Amino acid sequence: MTISVIYNVCARLGHERVFGGNDSELDVWEAIQGRRSIRSFKPDPIPDDLIRKLILEAGIWAPTGGNAQTWRFVVVTDPSVIHRIKMVAPGILGNPPAVIAICQDLDEAERKGSKLGREVITLMDTALAAQNIMLAAHDQGLGTCVIASFHAGAVQQILHLPPPIVPQLLMSLGYPQIKPQAPKRNSKVVWFNEYSQ
Amino acid sequence: MSTHNKDELEQEFFELTCYMVTSARNLIPENKLYGPFRLVDAVSRLIDVLQKLDLKSPRLEAIQKQIEEDKYTVMESEEKFTAFLENLVMSLVPLMQDPK
Repeated sequence: MTISVIYNVCARLGHERVFGGNDSELDVWEAIQGRRSIRSFKPDPIPDDLIRKLILEAGIWAPTGGNAQTWRFVVVTDPSVIHRIKMVAPGILGNPPAVIAICQDLDEAERKGSKLGREVITLMDTALAAQNIMLAAHDQGLGTCVIASFHAGAVQQILHLPPPIVPQLLMSLGYPQIKPQAPKRNSKVVWFNEYSQ
Repeated sequence: MSTHNKDELEQEFFELTCYMVTSARNLIPENKLYGPFRLVDAVSRLIDVLQKLDLKSPRLEAIQKQIEEDKYTVMESEEKFTAFLENLVMSLVPLMQDPK
């Protein structure tokens, strides 16, 4: 079913708008499908307040396993610190004016969610928060790229993170220089009621 | 002579070293296509450093241009990325020269 068909169905059912916040520029479908992983950024700085908004009004509103909320966000805008992080983060491509280290307090996660919380749920929570931030950033005209290719121990040292605070994802953030084409999606991935070959 | 001083060049090489060493460590558990991607990306970065040394080389610039144009095919498909690498290798042959 295409998005326009979904809209038509929703309209018939009396729903003017399926999703969307009050001051949102983009429809949620447009945000989801229009977001790209950006690896080439303009040098323009991003206001701190905007980055704070992305985290506090999008990131931390993601669902979190057992309401643990053990995520920690370290925003890096100092070019010299970004420079050092890039040296141990091969996945950061281009020159983003900001990088968000999405971290987890693993000790707190274990206290709240046992071994599963520490080893599995934190990773899911980090990813969920990251997606919220990326969609909100896209809504604000910003590009993002989420990065797992980095050395966590080295990033910990550079950011002076105490031992239980572990970076799980980095996110580069900036105004896009180039917006790539969307890779093709494989649509043969959905089953109802039971899986079949 | 280079317009960059020795310290600046040492820093450039240090950064490239960090990139390659961290890549080596991280590639152990990563997507196998990231290995060739990091290698060609490192080549492009190396050519950047050489340009800062004022080592003008049209053939190296041509190689870098190809890399920068198509390296992200790694995100699209293995087939496209492999074809890009294949073409890159084949484009080296006509650029070969005997050492002076």
